[in-house]
Amino acid sequence: MQKWWIILLLVTLTSCQRDIRYEASDAVISRPDTTLTARVEIILLEKKINTPLGLQVHSFGAFVVYWDGVRIGQNGIPSAPGQPEVPGTETSYYQIPDKLSKPGKHDVLIKGTQKHLIESERNVTAKPESYLKMLRQPLIELSLVNLMAGAFLIAAIYYTFLYYNSKHKQQTTLLFAVICFLFFALLAMEYLKYYIDIPYTQYYTRLIIVGWLTFAIAVLIPLYFTIHFNFPHKLLFIGALTLSLLLIYTTEYEHYDLTARLYSLTLWIASVFILLYAIIKKQRGSILVLAGFSASMVINQYMFYDFGLYIAFTLILLCILYLQTQGAKQLEEAHQTSLLLSSRLQLELIKKNIQPHFLRNTLTSLIDWVEESPAQGVLFIQELSHEFDVMNEIAEDVLIPINKEIALCRHHLSVMQFRKEITYVWENTGIQEEELIPPAIIHTLLENGITHSIPLEDGSIKFLLSFSRTNQYKQYIFEVFAENRITSKHCGGNGFRYIEARLKESYGNQWNFSSESFTKGWKSIIRINL
Amino acid sequence: MKILIIEDEARIAKRLARMTKAYFEQQLTLNVCDTLAKGLTYIEQSPIDILLLDLNLNGENGFEIMEAMVAKPFHTIIVSAYTDKAITAFAYGVLDFVPKPFDESRLFQAFGRLNNQSNLPDNPLKYLAVKKGGIIKMIEAIKVNYIKGAGIYSELHLQNGTQELHDKSLDALELLLPATDFIRIHRSYIVHLQQAEKLLIEAGGRYSVQLRNGEQLPVGRSRYKEIRNKMI
Repeated sequence: MQKWWIILLLVTLTSCQRDIRYEASDAVISRPDTTLTARVEIILLEKKINTPLGLQVHSFGAFVVYWDGVRIGQNGIPSAPGQPEVPGTETSYYQIPDKLSKPGKHDVLIKGTQKHLIESERNVTAKPESYLKMLRQPLIELSLVNLMAGAFLIAAIYYTFLYYNSKHKQQTTLLFAVICFLFFALLAMEYLKYYIDIPYTQYYTRLIIVGWLTFAIAVLIPLYFTIHFNFPHKLLFIGALTLSLLLIYTTEYEHYDLTARLYSLTLWIASVFILLYAIIKKQRGSILVLAGFSASMVINQYMFYDFGLYIAFTLILLCILYLQTQGAKQLEEAHQTSLLLSSRLQLELIKKNIQPHFLRNTLTSLIDWVEESPAQGVLFIQELSHEFDVMNEIAEDVLIPINKEIALCRHHLSVMQFRKEITYVWENTGIQEEELIPPAIIHTLLENGITHSIPLEDGSIKFLLSFSRTNQYKQYIFEVFAENRITSKHCGGNGFRYIEARLKESYGNQWNFSSESFTKGWKSIIRINL
Repeated sequence: MKILIIEDEARIAKRLARMTKAYFEQQLTLNVCDTLAKGLTYIEQSPIDILLLDLNLNGENGFEIMEAMVAKPFHTIIVSAYTDKAITAFAYGVLDFVPKPFDESRLFQAFGRLNNQSNLPDNPLKYLAVKKGGIIKMIEAIKVNYIKGAGIYSELHLQNGTQELHDKSLDALELLLPATDFIRIHRSYIVHLQQAEKLLIEAGGRYSVQLRNGEQLPVGRSRYKEIRNKMI
């Protein structure tokens, strides 16, 4: 909605009927010995207003302005013997007395000194205009500009805070905050002239700052797109872009407006190039942003220069804002997925001990033990209930102390020993009690080891869990000392998927899992990077 | 009676062996294998009458093996924790499905089926597994016209006019086929009731069943009454 109001206002501004019709001659300027004299002849053809007439003068120097020989004002203080020049501003405004503002021929004389920037041979212009309008015009322009600048300042602050307070720090968020801030600074710099009387000696300083701000924005916006759309050869692309901008800077040195315009054009071409790539790759939001860029080009072409450029920039920033929120949406989705994964893993863990295959086989053996040797049967029941106890304790945790995991494994082995009547031996070395580990991942390896191994000649299977730690990683090695079943499918399967999902849940991509046969049986390595 | 147990859990295997011995007493040759591979090798080398099979052995799905086993001459009894597979197992023609955990009476009930067709499971056989050129082919039981005994094999005569050879004897098949749909009419014939059109009495007091396709099959003298009752 706000955007439409701005556009409507702009249309009314640009289509305003002129209150005054006049013809002005080129200024006749002479600058001998740092004095400045300029004369402009104005023929006032028509004046439709009753309010006072004003005069707008663009000139370097410090001078007094005469209208038909009458002094109407002063800009700065011209130098006089023993008194240095106090520089005036580049643009100055004067009110013309009513009795001198009748239609007809008028003579404007600018008389003073110009001690500095003589070499720039700055032109002098004088334009009559409704005095009231001259005062109001900056207010109207500023109201729009401040609206934009304020919005982007808030966006810059918001996204900076967002970046520092979010867990998943995204480069693009910070980049967007920087772009918003630069854009705010650009607007502030551009319209600073209405707030502050800038001495003409500093006139180019502002333009230089505006130029570099535009330069930075022209680099950062395409950079944003390269990151967001994952454009290949980012560095090369941004390097080439920076080089072309520098080329523009050097070839068009001191042509400030033209330079800014060329910078914007370069920004536009570079961004559209990346957007086309994104569209080919069918990336989300790319078409919409390209549409935004096309619109910005149209606006820039058909609107008054200063404004057009900023409206175009605003449009581009709105497009980026859209991408930014879309990124946030993706993060939210990823978060949802991870929550879902966590609860799925939790469920899987609980299922481990209540799955029919485990329960029914265990119960069958248990009945047999109870029937054949009740005392052993009781021990069996106790081991089973211990395993359930540990399972129960860890069921909802994402990470558990390694000792609990080992206890779980030992109880499970006892249960399986009653079932399979194989001598299972458990050993562990180097275990550090304070270490945490995702629940039941060693247990899963143990289950695989029991299922896929044939006991050694003495009827035993040995399991060894060893822990080690270096500066870069910590590592669990789980070895099964037995004969591997020929048909066994150790790789893949639900068990491995469970282990990998658990590792991913707790360590992202900072882990490594391998599981393969070795001369004495089977060996699995879980490495967690530090 | 020659029985093979394929079970990877030592305790359960012992239990099965103990109960089997108790049921069959003296006239029993019993073997236990703890892996599928060992079991299959044993079957190749020595004929058996009954196979007690676990469906999940050392983490491997025994279902495909079951398909191969039901095509063999012997009877298969599944002893498994996967109770949800029972219906499918019956449909494929196992003698019984004993869910774990089991007790002696349940296992004895399964063995009892060897002598008693009336003790039918709730889920009837739907397919007859035929081994042909190394692959197992599942033939829908309702597509069978009649089955003719051929020594230790049986000939399945199908509605489409073709014949298939089944490795099981006619006696063994009689135990598996649902009594509501199939009837033994002769020492050498089982007929699909739906396909039997009429009962003929020929000269000399010989009876026969005429099928819908016109074929006539002999009826055993002692079975006449039962057949007449079922067909009317």
